[in-house]
Order: sequence, then C-alpha cells, then structure tokens
Amino acid sequence: MSQVSNSDGSAKYAIELQGVCKSFRRTQVLSNLTMRVERGKTFAFLGRNGAGKTTSIRMLLGLLKCDQGEVRVLGLDPATEALKVRARVGYLAEDQQMYGWMRVHEIVRFVAPFYATWDHDLALKYLREFELPLATKIKHLSKGQNVRLGLVLALAHRPELVILDDPALGLDPVMRKQFNRDLITHLQGEGRTVFYSSHLLYEVEPVADEVAILDGGRLVRQADTETLRRDVKQFVLDRVALATVRDDMSVLELQRAGDDVAVTVQNAAAVRALLDREGVGYRVVDLNLDEIFAAYVAGVNDDDAGAAMSVEELAPQR
Amino acid sequence: MFLRIEKGSSAPISRQIAHQIASLCAAGSLKPGERLPSVRELARDLGVNQNTILRVYERLSGDGLLEMRQGQGTFVADGAKANASPGQRARLIEELRQIGRQAQSLGLSHEQIHELLSVALGELDEQAAHDLAGNLS
Repeated sequence: MSQVSNSDGSAKYAIELQGVCKSFRRTQVLSNLTMRVERGKTFAFLGRNGAGKTTSIRMLLGLLKCDQGEVRVLGLDPATEALKVRARVGYLAEDQQMYGWMRVHEIVRFVAPFYATWDHDLALKYLREFELPLATKIKHLSKGQNVRLGLVLALAHRPELVILDDPALGLDPVMRKQFNRDLITHLQGEGRTVFYSSHLLYEVEPVADEVAILDGGRLVRQADTETLRRDVKQFVLDRVALATVRDDMSVLELQRAGDDVAVTVQNAAAVRALLDREGVGYRVVDLNLDEIFAAYVAGVNDDDAGAAMSVEELAPQR
Repeated sequence: MFLRIEKGSSAPISRQIAHQIASLCAAGSLKPGERLPSVRELARDLGVNQNTILRVYERLSGDGLLEMRQGQGTFVADGAKANASPGQRARLIEELRQIGRQAQSLGLSHEQIHELLSVALGELDEQAAHDLAGNLS
C-alpha cells in the first residue's frame, strides 16, 4: 500500500506527499496532492492566497493531520513522529510572532533548550552576520530584522531541511534581495534542502531549483523555471485554424480578439511542430513568469469549460 | 564585472547573465586570461542560485568564450573575442529573427530593414571612435 519511502535517514526525498487530501468541515483545501522534493534542492511552493500552501506546510510539521494519503518528511511520518521531525527541520512560520518583550539574546537562549543539536556558536555567528542588535526588544525590530531573527532560530540547530512559509512577505525589494543572498549563502551553500512558499514566481526564480504551483488544493505543475519558460508560450493564430489543432494543445488560457485567438499552452514545442506541419500561420509570444503563473492559476479554473465551449463556437460553420 | 538582472523579464536569468558576460568579452571589458568571480561569489553578489551560475559558466565554456580550469577558477578564453561560436550564432539569429518579425509587423520591407541595420552599425562605429578619442585624450 505504501508508495512512499519509509527508511529513516536514507530517504531519497526530503519531502514526499502522496495523494494527500484535507478538508475543513465541508471545504476541501487539498485534493489528491502528490509532490516530491529532492534532498539538497531549493524548492519554491507557489500559489495564490488560499491555495492551500500553509495547510500543506502545517501538515509537513505534524501540526495538522491529513484525511487521506501519506506524508513523509525526511522519511518520517509527521503525524506520528512530530517531535523527531521538528528536531531535524527548521521552520519559519508565516508572520511568525515572537514574544515582543524579549530581547534578541533572550529569545535565542529561550529557544535553545528545545533542540538537542542546538549550536550556540552558530546562532551567535548568524546574529552577527545578520547584524541583529542583541539587546533590542523584539517588538522594536524592523520587519526585515524580524525575518532574520526567525531564520536564526530556525537554523541554529543545523536542520537538514528548512521550511519557510512565505518568508519574503512584507519585505521591501532591498531586503528581499538580501534575503535571497542569505538563502544562497547559508542554506544552498551548505547543501541543505529548502522548501519555501511564496505567491510571486518572479521573486523565487533567481533562487529556486524547482517550483511547484498549487491551485485550488491541486498541484498544477512542478518544474524548474527554465523548463516552465520553454514549455509555456502563447500562440496567436486564426480562430478557424485553431479548431484543427485544438485537441493536441494543452491549453491554459484562451483569449479572443476579432478573428485572432491567443492561446497559452504548456506544450509549446509540440504545438509549434504541429502548426508547422499543418502549415498554419502563427506568432509565438514569450511570456514572463508572472504571465506564466497567472495562466496556471487564473486561466485554467474559470476558462477550461469556457475554452472548450468557445472553441466549439469557433468551429467553422457547416 | 557589473551584471544586472532584470526580474520579471521574459528572458530567463541564465540567458541574461550569459548575454551580459558575452557582451563584456566582445566589448573588451573582460580580457582574455582574466579571471571571473567564482560561482559562489557571483551567486552571492547577484542573489542567484549557484547552479544557475554554474550552468552559465559551463555553457559559455562550451561556446569557447570561457575556460573553466580545475581548481583554479573560470577565465576568459584566449581568442574569445574572435569569431562567434556556432552556439552564439544560433542565439544571435534567434534574436535577429525576433527583431525582423517586429520590423515586418511595422510594415517595413527587407531593404528598409537592412538599411536600418546599417544605420545602427554606423552609430556603433561612431560611438567606438568617440570612446577611443576619449581614451587617448
């Protein structure tokens, strides 16, 4: 029955989800989510607000149980071995709240005893590198300093896997870039697995080895960003010609303008070859990552039925 | 070496970096034998994944523009400024094709497009002459 690996230390994947479903009362938040994150990779988990990102992350940490399916983190089931998971995972919650009245050096000493592998020298080194003021009360830290303090607390026990829930949320562009540098220097540079969520594909592009796009509780695509760019393109062609090739297109979005249709597909190479073979005239548009993201999370839901309908409508009159 | 990453562009980051390094070599700002920043350094400076930088260095080495020496680092190859490699040519043709398509959509004829290219090249020559004069004075 078990399709996920269960060996403890040697699991090939840092994270495995297999057919995971989760509902809150009658609202289904995750449906049949299957996803694997290789060890040592930096993995960005993308979706709009409410797509199910935080629910998935809480499940990885054993804070929520799934209704169906299997979850493995470093080969462990977080639902039954939450403490073992927490010992080996660093976690930064979305908008993490820390005791505002504590000073920076106090919270570091407060958190340390929770972890057997806590490395106090490493914590001090990060505090120094992140230029965090030790004697300042947490409530007086800036948003950027707050995130960096959260990172120190998530990293000082040398976790194999780091899970960050929208860490760049609310950071200004300068701090975002600095945050990316921190990720690259302190995490990628040391070969750790990073799993972090965001709702901005172009923000994660410089850093992520791979991205997964979640929409309405389903995984709609997992790939590296260069593959995404290569596969997802917009074709502008005549509406009558479209009917002859529509079946072989994996359509994400379809727009009409007069006699032309703009079709965003996720199998660009095949579509291009097909159009060339059929001798259909077309124009290809390279999309930026925002447009690609929008095609997946905004195009598909509303337009899939609509797209099929409009193509029928478009078919040549007999 | 100054490089600039444009976020949200329709050009992938690896292509942006590769282009800019190739341009710096072509313009002579990076000279044959010159050492480039290490993968780690450049990744940190630009805030870009180390694997991306490594891929760029590998691709440009494949094109004969750079040379990765085991244990020593990455250098601008000798004769990097000479003729463009097949890979570089292929990418240039792709860009020219896009420009050509743009020009055609404006209703320009082949002759007019050639003419515009000549004008642009002429301006580059003038610029180069001007820079040279500036350096000598």
